[in-house]
Amino acid sequence: MKRVFSSITDGRGFDLVLVGVPFTFLLALSGLPLLYNILMSFQEVDMFSLGSVIRPFVGFRNYLDLFTQPETVSILKNTIVFVVGSITGQFLVGFALALFFWINFPGASWLRGLFLVSWVMPGLVVGAIWNWILSGDFGVLNFLLQQTGLMSSNIFWRSDPNFSLWAVILANIWLGTSFNMILLATGLSAIPADLYEAAEMDGANAWQRFWTITLPMMRSTIGAIIALGLIFTLQQFDLFAAITDGGPNNSSNVAQYWAWDLSFRQYDFGKGATISVIMTVFVMFAATVYVRSTRHEVRG
Amino acid sequence: MGIRRTMISIALALASASFAGMGARAEDVKLVLWSLDRDIQPAPNLIKEFNAQKNGIQIEYRQLQFDDVVSEAMRAFSTGKAPDIITIDNPNHAMFASRKAFLDLTDMIRQSKVIKPENYFPGPLKSVTWDEKYYGVPKATNTIALYYNKDLFKAAGLDPEKPPQTWTELVTTAKKLTNPSKNIYGLTFSAKANEEGTFQFLPWAQMGGATYKTINSEGAVKALTVWKQMLDEKLASPDTLTRSQWDATATFNAGNAAMAISGPWEIDRMLKDAKFQWGTALLPVPSEGAQRSSAMGDFNWAIFSSTKHPKEAFKALEFFASKDVTMYKDFGQLPARSDLPVPPTGNPQKDSALATFVEQLKYAQPRGPSPEWPKISKAIQDAIQAALTGQMEPKAALDQADAKIKSIGG
Amino acid sequence: MSENARNRLLLALSIVMAAIYLFPLYWMYVTALKSGSEMFATPPSFWPSSAQWSTFAYVWESRNMGRYLWNSTVIAFGAVALIAMLGTGCAYVLARYRNIWVDIGLFLILMFQVLPASLMITPIFVGFSQLGLLEYPRLAVILAITAKSMPFFVVLVRATFMAVPMELEEAALVDGNSRIGAFLNIVLPLARNGILVSAILIFMQAFGEFVYSKSMIQDIQLQPASVGLNSFMGPNTSEWNNIMAYATMYVTPILAIFVLLQRRIVSGLTSGALK
Repeated sequence: MKRVFSSITDGRGFDLVLVGVPFTFLLALSGLPLLYNILMSFQEVDMFSLGSVIRPFVGFRNYLDLFTQPETVSILKNTIVFVVGSITGQFLVGFALALFFWINFPGASWLRGLFLVSWVMPGLVVGAIWNWILSGDFGVLNFLLQQTGLMSSNIFWRSDPNFSLWAVILANIWLGTSFNMILLATGLSAIPADLYEAAEMDGANAWQRFWTITLPMMRSTIGAIIALGLIFTLQQFDLFAAITDGGPNNSSNVAQYWAWDLSFRQYDFGKGATISVIMTVFVMFAATVYVRSTRHEVRG
Repeated sequence: MGIRRTMISIALALASASFAGMGARAEDVKLVLWSLDRDIQPAPNLIKEFNAQKNGIQIEYRQLQFDDVVSEAMRAFSTGKAPDIITIDNPNHAMFASRKAFLDLTDMIRQSKVIKPENYFPGPLKSVTWDEKYYGVPKATNTIALYYNKDLFKAAGLDPEKPPQTWTELVTTAKKLTNPSKNIYGLTFSAKANEEGTFQFLPWAQMGGATYKTINSEGAVKALTVWKQMLDEKLASPDTLTRSQWDATATFNAGNAAMAISGPWEIDRMLKDAKFQWGTALLPVPSEGAQRSSAMGDFNWAIFSSTKHPKEAFKALEFFASKDVTMYKDFGQLPARSDLPVPPTGNPQKDSALATFVEQLKYAQPRGPSPEWPKISKAIQDAIQAALTGQMEPKAALDQADAKIKSIGG
Repeated sequence: MSENARNRLLLALSIVMAAIYLFPLYWMYVTALKSGSEMFATPPSFWPSSAQWSTFAYVWESRNMGRYLWNSTVIAFGAVALIAMLGTGCAYVLARYRNIWVDIGLFLILMFQVLPASLMITPIFVGFSQLGLLEYPRLAVILAITAKSMPFFVVLVRATFMAVPMELEEAALVDGNSRIGAFLNIVLPLARNGILVSAILIFMQAFGEFVYSKSMIQDIQLQPASVGLNSFMGPNTSEWNNIMAYATMYVTPILAIFVLLQRRIVSGLTSGALK
């Protein structure tokens, strides 16, 4: 007993407790629901069997059904476009802003704070506001584009199948920029200044310094941001609900919205779960990227 | 656990019996009711009145959002936490009734002095019926008709007392009214990819002689072709594809659309917001003399079969039904009753609009009833959207929907 | 170019960028101040013709916002406290070692976050109802938020611990500290800023949490402000000015704190304690 106690305060046991408790918690509250979803994807589920685990087993039928539906491939493609487009946009804008505010000028840090707005605003409100901004006939975006002469006729951002997905991506880039910017800003300020001083003395120009110092030093931060960004992007729901409803004709539908639509609008819980299993494959990819990026970390 | 639970319930039963035996006033029966009605709508207000009677039954209210009603109800029912009473959108009624999640009220209705089936419009009554038994009571009803802007009619040289009667007239009228330079579309309606799209399209298909079981028949294809023409020729805004009925009619109220297809729930807002003379007309038909049809909307009352107090819950429904008389006056909703005339409101514009809707209600048909309605509806929405975005021809899109509906077995 | 001119140019540039970026926020404020008919005017008016300040008082009163905001605060604090308690140690261990188990741990942490709340709610609801947790709805929501946000916290705080030099902890151990002593006395204080800042980020997310609260908290007395907002945002609403006034009162205090604290946030995440 005493050995156990001393191991907990002063040995391997200490680490095990610190990691064990939260992992047990997460296994119970996130792991089990995940398993419940995976299980459901192999079952036939209706409103009466939501509460139990034993349900008719249907093997891969949900998967087969799903892939015979004409919209499946295009929705999965949309999901990839949405994720890649959003993350690229968020990351580039966020990085540009982080670098910009990294330059020391009066008011810089205060103004940088204002860019964090999107982190704080409730999704419901963000969705409603973008819905107006993007609306075709009297949207503010069309109004401004016409006033400035960039465009001669209205673009129906929400209702034109060529634009609808990009309309949501635009709103999502806005939403994710703040989170990218603040984490990248943190990463930047962690780079020791003497590295730059040394490089400057060696005659490296700003561009070379960026490629040889900033980027390599930021590798682990970037890995974490992209992994977290992918997860946030795959969880984005409010914007679809508010702006396009996945329409028109599924042109802006993505996996997470479709999974919800199947589960809670068509009450086909088995298929909804099947899509969420497909989504876990996406995230496995992100998790691998993240874990690999941590290999390049430098211990302080 | 089973034994423990039984013991507890026996103990509770004994305890309550002894209380009653002692002649003391027993604890009030507590019922839970879920609905999406807000503070100015019937449910919470009727509950307040009901509770004020202090007749030994107290109702607790929980407000839900439109999108959440069914999913919350299912989740609660499957975990044994369902409310006693719920209001449910009529096309979803069969899904619950067919699985006996709702209580069969047939016998209680037969003995009731307040709720009599013959007093209800046939459409709403059909929506609470499954297998020739009643699983609920219609709460209110609505339908859609045509609103038009008389001022814009005059400006375009049209007779403001002669709204379009047929689909062809509707298209030609819309053409005359459309004026891009002034930001005016001829017509506004909703083809959104949710239940609203189905709600708006189905009457058109039905007027063409189709039902949801024959959704690719000629009449339905013609209906969808007319819709497509409206969008292709920009007689209606491209945002029709993503806009709800409420938002679509807002553009009519603002003078940006000359005609609108929507329901009686718009009247009050229109009276306030629309700065022009407007009128209403029955939905145009495919050709003169063709059969009329319309959508049937709004909610039903239902009692969950898991309730411990079926009698008390039915008593509450009887109370709610007894208030149908003043439903329009108090809450602006139309009771689903054919025996109650809608009383004049004193506002001629409103009264004439109401007359149109009451007339239109005679042709209202429920969606379904089918326990698979949500999937059927989704197939129809997909067809509408595929055709209107030009990605499929109307015929092909509806063929695909028909195949889907047949495979669902609706 | 002189230092001064450069600064002014940068400042002007950043103000322009901020103006573009903040437009949605601006639109929320302006809409809250507009009257009913002005809201739907075409072309849109960018400035309210007569600001309706009374909307705020009306919404605060009629919507009982005090109670809603209090519930949001309780839930957010509860979730943050639980996350900080569970997540900090976890992040510390995951930063301290470098082996296959840590890789697996990091991998799992992210995998736990994969599904959106809208898909997690059904299994969580079913599980909680079987455990009887739904009798304590706010606690149930706190637990659910904790599970959802902890991975994010762990990833951020782990980066903070990475910045604490290993030598300091080793020195403390050599001085006779136990592991727990070295953790509490040396490592934790050095990572304090980063933890605090991550906690603030989590707090703000939890403050706006919506999906779990909506389903699990059925008693209106216990619902947070996000559910209150949703309850009058139904599909047939035209009170956008009231809704935006509500959102303004919901968001602005938090936003103000955020802007004031963000300088610390950025330096905090790098745990500038030693610099």
